[in-house]
Amino acid sequence: MSRLFKRLWPFGLGSEIVGVCQALTENPAAPMLAQQYAAIKRDLDDKGILFSFSGYLSEGILYSLGEALREKMALEEADGPTIRRVFSVFVEQMQNIIRYSAEKMSGRAGHPVELSAGMVTIGMEDGKVFIVCGNTVRNGDVPRLKQRLDHLKSLDRNGIKSYYREQLREDPDDGSRGATLGLIEIARRASDPIDYDFDAMDADRSFFCLKVRV
Amino acid sequence: MDSLIIPATGRTPGVSFDFVGGHLRMTGESYPDDVAGFFGPVFDALRGYLSCPDGGPIRFDMELLYFNSSSAKALMNILQMLETVAKAGRPVTLTWCVEENDESMRELGEDFAEDLRHVVFRMREIPAGGGP
Repeated sequence: MSRLFKRLWPFGLGSEIVGVCQALTENPAAPMLAQQYAAIKRDLDDKGILFSFSGYLSEGILYSLGEALREKMALEEADGPTIRRVFSVFVEQMQNIIRYSAEKMSGRAGHPVELSAGMVTIGMEDGKVFIVCGNTVRNGDVPRLKQRLDHLKSLDRNGIKSYYREQLREDPDDGSRGATLGLIEIARRASDPIDYDFDAMDADRSFFCLKVRV
Repeated sequence: MDSLIIPATGRTPGVSFDFVGGHLRMTGESYPDDVAGFFGPVFDALRGYLSCPDGGPIRFDMELLYFNSSSAKALMNILQMLETVAKAGRPVTLTWCVEENDESMRELGEDFAEDLRHVVFRMREIPAGGGP
């Protein structure tokens, strides 16, 4: 696991949890449930995390988490444009997971259902909001994604803006279900350059993480 | 021709296209779970209206407070349709409403207006607090 990924992954494989697991093996009768989850909660709190969701995501979850995020920010008296900037990055990241996660299930349960596995984490760090999304991607898609992210990282504010204008007038890429604009929109609303990382899982898949500060 | 009225929901915009009066308006926020499903009927109605030869002036008020990147593409399509009829001589005015201090939306307005040559583009500031 790379260093950046370790830093980004809020649920740890952290020392506390490993410690708990060892204790559990040594003394199976110990009341560990609350302690175990309290450690996870503490780990999230220590990292300044406001919300974290890991599991199967859907458009419905996007909507509900998005509402909660906006309400939380409104209670903290963030102004409308700031709330919308954070919300915008959140929506684009969630929709990227929903559309492009390599771990999906779909079917019908009375209505069409499509669920994509991934995680989204929102927190505060050095006075800025950060949003991290993580999901499985196919190794074959990694080079192209890297290339696009590196291109965005190499652009300054004006460069991002003209790239957006150019892509706004293009037809979407093959295989893209939305607009090719999503990542540019994210980079545009970010206050610092975006951070990304990949962690190889096996011959076919990697775990992809994108961290954006707003 | 009938008007196209679609009430706003939490994530789809309010559409109020008064084709008789030539006044088109979009309000609220746009990040539908199915962009093509939402905008398809809007495009169809607009295409039908723009192909009618009456040629009266058109006023389009863009009052969205937020739209996602997929909706941006859809909005661009709408503006391109309007630019085409404006180029053919029909007067079209686009008013891009921006909540005060919303620099992102102001910049987006400039992005969208960049290659409008025949549509008259106006930026209008509205007071803050119009929505979340």
